[in-house]
Amino acid sequence: MRVGQTGSKNRPKVTGKPPDKPSTEAEKPGLYFRASKPDQTTSLMSSSSKDETLAERRWLNALANGDPNALGGLYEIYGDKIFRYTYRMLGNRADAEDATAETFLRVLRRSADLRADGAFKTWIFRIARNLCIDKMRQHKLLELPPDTHYSGVEERAALKITVQQALQDLQVEYREPLILCDLENISAKEAAEMLSISVPALKSRLYRGRRALRDKLGGSLEKMT
Amino acid sequence: MNEGIYKKLVDLYVGDELPEEIMEDLEARAMNDPELSHDMYTLRRALQALRENDDIRLTEESSQRILTKMRTAGARVEQNSPDPAHLQYHLPMHG
Repeated sequence: MRVGQTGSKNRPKVTGKPPDKPSTEAEKPGLYFRASKPDQTTSLMSSSSKDETLAERRWLNALANGDPNALGGLYEIYGDKIFRYTYRMLGNRADAEDATAETFLRVLRRSADLRADGAFKTWIFRIARNLCIDKMRQHKLLELPPDTHYSGVEERAALKITVQQALQDLQVEYREPLILCDLENISAKEAAEMLSISVPALKSRLYRGRRALRDKLGGSLEKMT
Repeated sequence: MNEGIYKKLVDLYVGDELPEEIMEDLEARAMNDPELSHDMYTLRRALQALRENDDIRLTEESSQRILTKMRTAGARVEQNSPDPAHLQYHLPMHG
């Protein structure tokens, strides 16, 4: 059965904690996900984060079982995050919408590849990242100006554009850690996994990215009081 | 302390990765070192500006366009929410 295209309309059932040790069934790819190793912030996790984690496990199980509602469920959890990430990477809404839609379509097409030894969050961000890089290569989006949003007082809006432009002007290798760690509050470990680099390399890029952003903002920083 | 070590400490300071004691020590040193102080202040300000001026969000219009693209590509996407977590389990009551 093709996941997400045919099948029962039944809502997915709570299956409880994924097995610690793969059972015969669970050894098959896509049948369960091991949660990523908790970091220091786990104990401080908000109730909404816990709800999301539970819902994520539930929808992943549903996806593996061919539930047609699963993609919509995962979209509700990750749609906004993936959209914000792709928007910041690509700099405009239309391309971000395309990349977000394609990201979830790839999740659907590759649902059989869901691996038990990885976190879904890392996986879906990697898909989104690869799509963004492809788009940047194809359309040379780095040379295009980002969308402009005059949503407030003119000076405030101008400042926002200055910051967004400075972010867009950063080299991708420095922009990515800033987006993931400083804007999406993703841990260094998770961000490093998403970018397929070591944590020290991630931190090095993050620190350089912050300094590069500071240098690009230059005199504008003094106006930001 | 050489410049390289200061730079690394400032990077850690900006990311709130320093123990409080070292953070306070660095801030104390910055009081008498304008260059260090400027580095610390401008980096923190840049990071603050980045966070304060970022309001990208998925609008309802964008979301509908994304869902339409997915459906056009053949995916069946229902907009639904799983039951809230507090309805999934019966937790023991205390007190």
